[in-house]
This record gives sequence, structure tokens and C-alpha cells, in this order.
Amino acid sequence: MTPFTPSRRTLLTGALGLALSGTLSGCGAFGHGARVREWNLFGGGDGARLLQIHEKFVAEHPDIAFEAHTLAWGPPFYTKLAMSAAGGRAPEVATLHLSRLKGFSPTTMLDPIPLDQLTEAGITEQDFLPETWNRCLVDGRLYAVPLDQHPFVLYYNLEICKKAGLLGPDGRIKPVKGVDAFLEMLKAVKDTTGKFAASVETTNPWRLWWTLYGQLEGKFFDDSGSRLALDDAKALEALQLMAKLAADGLTPKSSDYPSLVAQFTNGDAGLSFNGEWEVTTYQTAKMPFSMAPFPVVYDVPKYAGDAHTFVLPHQAGRNKDDTAATITYIAWMLKHSADWAAGGHIPAYQPVVASPEYLNLKPQAEYRSVAPDVLYDPDAWFSGSGAQLQNEAGAAFAGVFSGRTTPRQALDQFKAATQKLLDTPSPV
Amino acid sequence: MAVQTPTRTSTTEARHAQEPPRNGPPWIEKWGGLFFVAPFGVLFAFFLLWPTVAGLWNSFFNTSLAGVKQEFLGLQNWREMFGDPAVWDSLKNTLVFTAMSTPPLVIIALVMALLANRKGLLGWLLRFSYFAPFVLPATVVTLIWVWIYQPGFGLVNGLLTAGGFAEIDWLNDENRAMLAVVITTVWWTVGFNFLLYLAALQGIPEQVYEAASIDGANGRQKLFRITLPLMSRTTGLIIVLQLVASLKIFDQIYLMTDGGPNYATRPIIQYIYESGFTSYRIGYASAISYLFFAIIVIVAVAQFKLFSGKKEAV
Amino acid sequence: MSGTVERRFTFPKVAIIVGAVLLAAVWLVPLLWAIDTSLKPEPETTQTPITWLPGAPTLDAYQSVLEQGSILRWFLNSTIVAVLVTSLTLLVSVLAAYGFSRTTFPGRRVLFGILIAGILVPPQVLIVPLFQEMSGLGLVDTYWGMVLPQVVAPVMVFVLKKFFDGVSRDFEDAARVDGATRLRIVWSVMVPMSRPILVAVGIFTFIGAWNNFLWPFIVTTDPSMMTIPVGLANVQGSYGLRYAQIMASAVLGGLPLLIVFALFQRHVVRGVGDAGIKG
Repeated sequence: MTPFTPSRRTLLTGALGLALSGTLSGCGAFGHGARVREWNLFGGGDGARLLQIHEKFVAEHPDIAFEAHTLAWGPPFYTKLAMSAAGGRAPEVATLHLSRLKGFSPTTMLDPIPLDQLTEAGITEQDFLPETWNRCLVDGRLYAVPLDQHPFVLYYNLEICKKAGLLGPDGRIKPVKGVDAFLEMLKAVKDTTGKFAASVETTNPWRLWWTLYGQLEGKFFDDSGSRLALDDAKALEALQLMAKLAADGLTPKSSDYPSLVAQFTNGDAGLSFNGEWEVTTYQTAKMPFSMAPFPVVYDVPKYAGDAHTFVLPHQAGRNKDDTAATITYIAWMLKHSADWAAGGHIPAYQPVVASPEYLNLKPQAEYRSVAPDVLYDPDAWFSGSGAQLQNEAGAAFAGVFSGRTTPRQALDQFKAATQKLLDTPSPV
Repeated sequence: MAVQTPTRTSTTEARHAQEPPRNGPPWIEKWGGLFFVAPFGVLFAFFLLWPTVAGLWNSFFNTSLAGVKQEFLGLQNWREMFGDPAVWDSLKNTLVFTAMSTPPLVIIALVMALLANRKGLLGWLLRFSYFAPFVLPATVVTLIWVWIYQPGFGLVNGLLTAGGFAEIDWLNDENRAMLAVVITTVWWTVGFNFLLYLAALQGIPEQVYEAASIDGANGRQKLFRITLPLMSRTTGLIIVLQLVASLKIFDQIYLMTDGGPNYATRPIIQYIYESGFTSYRIGYASAISYLFFAIIVIVAVAQFKLFSGKKEAV
Repeated sequence: MSGTVERRFTFPKVAIIVGAVLLAAVWLVPLLWAIDTSLKPEPETTQTPITWLPGAPTLDAYQSVLEQGSILRWFLNSTIVAVLVTSLTLLVSVLAAYGFSRTTFPGRRVLFGILIAGILVPPQVLIVPLFQEMSGLGLVDTYWGMVLPQVVAPVMVFVLKKFFDGVSRDFEDAARVDGATRLRIVWSVMVPMSRPILVAVGIFTFIGAWNNFLWPFIVTTDPSMMTIPVGLANVQGSYGLRYAQIMASAVLGGLPLLIVFALFQRHVVRGVGDAGIKG
């Protein structure tokens, strides 16, 4: 039986047993061991991979009652997680984007990670890039353990790109630099597919825009971190490029996330601009593809991205055994993050990054060099993956692709929305 | 009306004014009735009265879901609300949805009731078809319709392209998304109004039609001279119920478009939800809740004014 | 429109029947399309041009949904919640309606006035403070947290009270002469007398509780505590592009009440009509 049934519900246990026999919760025959309930936001290929990794963890840890749940990505997940932490019945461990950490009110909604236990489990500060580790500290305390980094990358269809003459002698796509070379590459692909060059999520182009704007070295907030310091000229340059991509038919004018995946899978687009997490999907589809860092279209190499971390959501009464088991889980996941990396993510745990097991992963190890240049979202309580700032960007910038709004209008809408968020008293 | 009322006796009322025979000691006699009301009363106080008061209270504080320190703000939330374009936009969306959905929900329901008011297997089948969607949960409805609206391989666009028409990007186009939601809503909930009409139709005594037939009325005359006029009160009731129900729109829109694209469909309740839970601003969300509450009360009071004076609704 | 003398099929009559059937077909198409999709092998679902019937019908999608999802658990949760809400609503509403209709106690009018005012409060405006309250009571992610607020249905008390007002007191008096307590009278006189309206209220409440989305959506965060409508809302996110599976879960989620409706159409049709009109 699953161990999460409080005593008040024992009456129902019989019925539950019937219902649960079909579910995938990792429950064994150990009624009173430590329990770990994990919530995550991984759908699609990531979700399938995580399921396999979890099966392995469960098999190796018969003494831990483990149960994982996937909730819909983005606002639904974060809203539920916050509400469960506020309600005091949160799960033992959850995934959280590093960019969301400060906005999640860690001091009230998360429990700090017990460093001594983490060290005991063999995980220390030295195992991570300093920049990543420091982002996990709030008021000097560790609130998150990073699992990976996930930059915005370039997917390319090997057959299409070969026909378009874009592959080098080593079979890899030839790196391009600068706007003109970038556009030339896209035109070559479009001429080959007859449809689009690249698939993008036009309904929320935040990652593309943030990458381009970052490559222009644009700032978002001023040094105080509380005033909008957006560089209009650079922001417009990036938006105009996006508008041109759609207007020239290099990308679709309207395409949501599932369409982005579908267009790359069915060959309507020979390239795809996306986070690196769809590797499993395309491998499952048995298509010839590889990946590379997103081209440096402007001045400096910067790639919008984020990191997944593990956090301990606040529980009214945290059980010692459960926490110990949770730390065991986190440490195990980090040490096995080569399996996770197979789904596309760059492991945060450096011993794995250096391991041959990871280095031999193709195409997953092809873009690992970008890790230090990952550009996190602006630092604010309303910012981060799936947070309001990204939604506002999506609402404003989607029209640039469809041609409904001009880059200027879109930028004005986005700036007004951001200003409004800044003016809103912070609830955390 | 279809309900069979048990023996009604108004003449006996007076006789019972001076009952009752026995109810135990005087204090039970006096307070005993309270025990019948108590279970409901306690729940009512806990889960309706208290949150109503607490919501008003919270609206004067910067209460946060994150549980950080709470400070008194006075009217700051209220002032912010009246100057917040998102409040007015979401309110406008709510009203647009109500205005777009109410007419078809009333007219189609009436047509359905007229068509399905027949006995036998055909009547059963018609009633089943018209009402079946209403018993589905919102999520099932939206899963199906999001699938139907898909570009490319969705049913609607599949039919459009097969017929030589251009595809419509139903849910990602600011100008179409609300229409898409309304179509789904009509399909889903028209069955309820249909049943209200059907109950009213079945309440019309057969003799009325027989008398009309004897006077030589044809089907069309019976429809326009008897049925429809007799339906007018039901129509009034349905319109009012529908207005209030439509103003409370949340489920379908949240599940189909999440308020998008570009907030073009976000209803006021979703903005309350987002402010309170996604952005943790419990205090601010409480203030908006009260604005919405006021609108509902105005509509409901207008309804009361409209219907008071008429003794029975149907 | 029935009950006329002639039975011949005239043109307008045929036209009306054809129209009625066409409308019914339009209304059924989305359901049939969902079933159709759920029986297709996954790749066939996104084929263009669309195919009408699955080339090789398969139950794979259903099997995957049942195997990987928590759908059975959600069914159980929905059943528990809907049954509890329905029975408790009937119980407390009948008692309160009787109290307001047949007994006198100090403050009765005031309380009834507050109850009427309560009808005006839409549950939607209470989600935020009610969640706060549930969180304080430790009832987030519990059945009681989902059930109790749904039991407070002042409109039901109002409907029943109006109905009880119209029931003759002769039966009660007879029972009382026989020495029955008031509680006994409620059970053995009022309840049997008002069976039709109780069935109506019960059906109405059950459908409402089974399909309620907003409140269970707010008060459950743990996926294993979710009801069918809330749990399925997660499916969208976690199944990705697998439309056959999404449609299979939609069909499964809609099936129970569709079956109930098909079996008890007469009661549902009358019940919803009555409860709706009275409400």
C-alpha cells in the first residue's frame, strides 16, 4: 500500500488498494518506511525519461516509499506548489527552476537544505559551478540543489542541412556568426524544405528574444535591480529580426509549442530554436538530427536558459526520516544525472560532466560548452521560467511574428506590463 | 410544472396556528427548532459567512500567500484595483462572453425543447443528444474541443480545408478565441436551459391544444399563439439564470486558452485566481473578489426587481 | 405539439424530424469524434487529411491511460466527494428546511434572512479567503476540505423550505398523536412526502459535485487527492502530443455520468428541470 494514507482515511484503504493497483506510484510492500513524495513539471520526453530513472531509484531503495507526480508545466505547477506549501501539506521534494527561487519566497515557502546531511550523502559545494551554487543561496542558506542547466540551443535535421550544404566535413553544422550569415543559413534551409527554415514557439518567443537581446549585451534592470533599464534600440533590433524571420517565411507566423515540435519532426522545418529538452522526443521519432549551440547572431555568446533544482517545500511538521530519505534521493539523482542528461540537459553536478558516460552522449554533449554563458531571466519576484514576466513577453511579442503588432508596439506593451509589475508591491 | 405537488391544504393552515400538542419541556419547546437548523447553520457560518467577512478584511491588508508579514494598507488595494487595466479588461471579457453566449444559449435551448418534446424512442434519443454534453466535466469538454480546434489535423479545420476554405487558428487568434470558447460553452451547457424549457412545455395542459384544434388552429398558429406566449416567463427566468451563470465564467476559458492569447479571453475570476494564488497577493485578490461580488449582487437584485410582483416564476 | 388528430406524415412534420435529428447529430459529433480518436493508433491521429474511422481500431490508448495515469484514483476521489456532498447536502438541508418551515425559535426570521442573503454570495468570490481558511484548518488536500464548502447550499434549503410549507400538516399531527418526535416526523413523514423534490435536488447536487472544477481545483494540490475534472486538467500538460491518450482519458472521464444519464434519463430530465426552476 502507498504509505501516504493518513489514519483518518484508513476506512477507505481497501477501496484505495483497488484503485491504486493500477497507478504508477513507486510503492512497495513497506508500510512504515520513510516516504518521499516528489513533484515535478516534466512532460513529454523529459517526463518519460524521469519515469525510467525513478523506476531505477525505487528498485535500488526498497526501504523508501517513493511516489512521483507530474503536474502541468509552468504556472499550474508553480501555483500548486506554492498553495501546497502554504497549506502545509507539501510533498517532501519538488523541482524548481533556479530563476524562480527568490520569487518563491524561500524563507517562508521552502525549508532549507540540511547541508550536513547533504555532505554526508557525498554532495558538496565543490561539485558545482560556483555561479550556479551561489544562486541557490538565500540569506546565506542553501535552499536548492541544482540538477542541470538547460540553455536555448539549435536543433538541426541532418538530412535537410546536408542537402542545404550547411554541414562541415565532420558532419556537424558549420557555426555561423552575425546576422547576415544567420539569415543566409536560414534561407538555405528554407529553400531545401520548401516550407520553413526553423520552428519556433511564436506564442511565447521569450527565450529567443532574451537570447538575442542578451547577445546584444542588453540590460534589463539598472544596478539597483529595481528600475527598468531596457535598451530600446537593442530590444527593437532583436524584435525586428524576429519580425523579419516570420515575414520572410523563415519561421511560421503562428505556432505554439506542440506545433514547434511537430514541424521539426515532420520536416516542415529543418532547424528548431528551442531548449535542449526535446532530444528524447526526436530520438523516439527516429529522425536524423543533431544539436549545436545557438548561433552567435550578435556580439557575445549568450544563451537564454535556466536550471532545474531540487527544493524542499515547506511542511508544517517535517519528518526526520523522510528528510533523510529525501536527501538520499537528491544525491542519488545528481550522481545518476548522466541518465538525465541523455534527455538533453547539461548536468550541474560536475563529476558527471567530466565522466565519459556523459561525454559520449551524442548529441547531448555537443553544446555543453555553453554552460557558463547561460543567461538566466532577470532577477525579480515576477520573473523566471513560466512566471509572469515571461507571460507578459509572450502576450506582447507573439504579435511580432503574426504581423499583428509592430516591434515598437510590442516593446511598448511589454515595457508597460513590466513597469506595472515593478510598481506592484512585492508579495514575497 | 412537472413536479407533482403533494396534497396542498391551505384551509388547514389556520387550524394549526395554535398547535403543537407536545414537544417536551418548555426550553425544548422554545429552542428545539434551532437544533434542526444548527448543522446547516454551523456549516453556513464556517464556510460561507466567515470567508465572506475574512475576504473583506483581507482586502485592507497586503496579505500574501507566501505568509510574509502582513500590514494594514487601508484602501490601497482598492485604489490599485480601480486603476488596474487588467481588472477592467478581464471584466470586459467577462461581459463580452456573457453577451455572446446568452442569446444562443436561450434560443437554441427553446428550439431544442420544441423539437424534443415528443414521446417514444425518437424523443429519448433527441433528449439524450441535446443534454448529454451537460453531464460532462469541464475538463472533458475542453480536452475534446481543444482537440477539435487544432490547426491542421483538428476536426473543424480538417472540414474547413476539405471544403476548400482557409484554416482558422481558433484558439491562438485574439479575434477568434472568445468565439471558440462560446461555441464550446453553448454545446456544453445549452442542455440545462433545454431541460428548463422542456419542463415548462410539458407543464402546458394538453386541453389547451385540444381546444385550439377544435377552433381550427394549425400547428404554426398553436406554436406562435399558445406555446411561445406561455413560454415567456420561463424565458425570462432562463435569461436571468443564464446571465448570472455566464458572469461566473472560469473553467472553460482557463482550461482552453488560459485567458490568452494576449489576455483576450481572461475572465475576472481568472484574474482573481492569478492575483491571489499565482502571484500570492491574497489581499489584492480579495479586493477584486468584492468588486465582482458587487456586480453579481446588482444583477441578482435587478433579477429580483424584475420577478417580484409575479407570484410564481413559472 | 403532440396530441393532434392527424397522424399522416406531412411535409412540415418530416422537415421538423429531419431538423431535430440533424441538430442531434451535430451535438453528438464532438463526442463521437473523441471516441473515434481514442481508438486510433497514435500516428493516425495527426494525419492530414483527417481520417474518419481508425484504420485498425485499438484499445492501446486506454491501456496506457489506465496504466500510467492516476485516473482510477481520481474516479475514486470523485465518487467519494460526490457521494458525501450529495448525502450531506440532503441531510443538513432537509433538517434546516424543516426547522425553518415547521418550528419556531427566537431569531428564526433573522437567520432565514441571512440564509436568503447567502444565496446571493457566489462561491467563486470566496475561493481566496476560503483557501486561506482551509489552509489554517489543515484541510487542504483532504476530502473534507473539498466536501464541506460544497454542502453549504442555501438555495437548496430555500427550495425545500418552500416545498415543506406546502405539505399538509395533517400527517404530522397524526404522527405526533402517536408520540413521534419531531426528528422522527422529518424522517417518516416529510422525507417520503417530498421524494420527488429530494430526488431532483439529489441528482442536481450529484452532477454538480461530480463536475465541480473550481473549488476542488483550488483546495487540492496533491495529484493523488484530485477529482476527475481536476486531475484530467493535468493530463493536458503531461501527455504531450498523444491525442489518442488524451481523448481516451476524456472518454473515461465523461463516461460514468453519461451512463448514469442514459439509464436514468427520465429522473434527470425531470430533476434538473424541477430543481432549476425552483432554484
